[in-house]
Amino acid sequence: MNTNVPMPPPLQPAIGPSPGPGPGSLRPLGDDPDDRISIPGLAGTIEAMLRYPRRVMFHLRAPQSGSLIGLMVLVALFCSLVYGVVVGSFSGESQYWAAPVKIAAGLFISALICLPSLYIFSCLSGSEARLMEVLGLVMGLLALMTILLIGFAPVAWVFSQSTTSIAAMGSLHLVFWAIATYFGLRFLHHGLRHLSGKPAGLRVWVLVFLLVMLQMSTAIRPIVGKSDRFLTNEKKFFIKHWMEQFDGGQAAQPSFRRP
Amino acid sequence: MIVSVSAVIGRLRSVSSGIAPWDLSDHRRAIPTAIAIVVLGAGTYGAVMGAWREPLQALFTGLKLPLVILLTTLGNTLINAMLAPLLGLHLSLRQSLTAVLFTFALAASLLGSLVPVAIFIVWNLPPLTTTTQLGSFEYSMIQLVLVAFIAGCGVAGNVLFLPVLERQSGSRRVARRVLLCWLLVNLLLGSQITWVLRPFIWDPARPVEFVGPEYLRGSFYETVFNAVRQLILEQLPLHRP
Repeated sequence: MNTNVPMPPPLQPAIGPSPGPGPGSLRPLGDDPDDRISIPGLAGTIEAMLRYPRRVMFHLRAPQSGSLIGLMVLVALFCSLVYGVVVGSFSGESQYWAAPVKIAAGLFISALICLPSLYIFSCLSGSEARLMEVLGLVMGLLALMTILLIGFAPVAWVFSQSTTSIAAMGSLHLVFWAIATYFGLRFLHHGLRHLSGKPAGLRVWVLVFLLVMLQMSTAIRPIVGKSDRFLTNEKKFFIKHWMEQFDGGQAAQPSFRRP
Repeated sequence: MIVSVSAVIGRLRSVSSGIAPWDLSDHRRAIPTAIAIVVLGAGTYGAVMGAWREPLQALFTGLKLPLVILLTTLGNTLINAMLAPLLGLHLSLRQSLTAVLFTFALAASLLGSLVPVAIFIVWNLPPLTTTTQLGSFEYSMIQLVLVAFIAGCGVAGNVLFLPVLERQSGSRRVARRVLLCWLLVNLLLGSQITWVLRPFIWDPARPVEFVGPEYLRGSFYETVFNAVRQLILEQLPLHRP
């Protein structure tokens, strides 16, 4: 299967900020022949995300990057749904389909909410990046995050079959999410450095993105535990929700236990 | 397939000197050999641990200890293979699986070499009787010494494998980072699998059984967390209602 991402012409100049001397300088994308190799199919996209992130960044800057972005969306969607099934296996029943839907939707909505601010931040820092390129990097962030979550899925499954504590399972998923997000943000950071040299305001954006995702996990609750309703109407800040889970989790446990 | 002991030792020696298992002449046998070393080394050691209670526990622990290692390796195959390239070490899925298996194989071979010492310790301690309690000296001693051996061998196994990762990555920093991440991830899953497959030595509340029904409930980390929480709350009686 081919991605239809056209190979850049041989004489295409290397992409990226001008490589200046010094420790912080970046090798321009395309300098290495490895960067120019095409990315074939879903498996190729996953492999490139993990092993050759520069190749992904190079192809995102190519004129027809839409198909690669589409592949990354598919990877992120598929992986988040699979991980969602593992999350849902803790409570079983309707959570087998509700948790995957909520996790996938939550991730994409969070990314879309934060995309405009990243684009504006990027533009204000002097970058000439197109919205499509920034979108590609954000989809790359999601794809890498969810690929890593799939890696953690067997561990999460073992724990979800052993424990009945929502607080413990929620904490474990948060740890996995934090690790996956770290690597995803690292990809985004490298990508933005190639786009704009020094991405100003990225730290602020990362903070906003993390807060949005954490609040999203509370807004679309329950993801780990069970409920009669798909979504709850009660508005709650995520920290308050967590505190309640830790304080009252022990007492409320029996109603959430698997049958 | 019969593999001579000297061939196995030779392979472990090559690995500990920095030659990757997949670079050896008979690299196709690397994974089966590593599994065989784990089963034999950790299995024998486990049998000695369980022998303090009774022969059936020896059999069960002899099976469970290698099972913990193999299930941990299997469960973490994907994430270990993903973490390595992300941290700068380009290994294939098969190579990272072989690498993790060999760190355990090195640890298991060390454990196997300590079997005579473990037998000596078990033989010298007072046997399990109806008066033995969880707080008894002999039980505490057997737990402490035998688990310390496992921890020590685990660390040594990883240190011995470090040259392979260094040679593969060309950087000591990257090799250490990858090995540390693998260790953490293996510790996370390994401790839970160990928790599920307990007891390895003795449980006064249950007869000898491979996996009891109640062992599948709860998690290692929850228990530790609750114990710490209880300990802190007991230290602050004034804050209680």
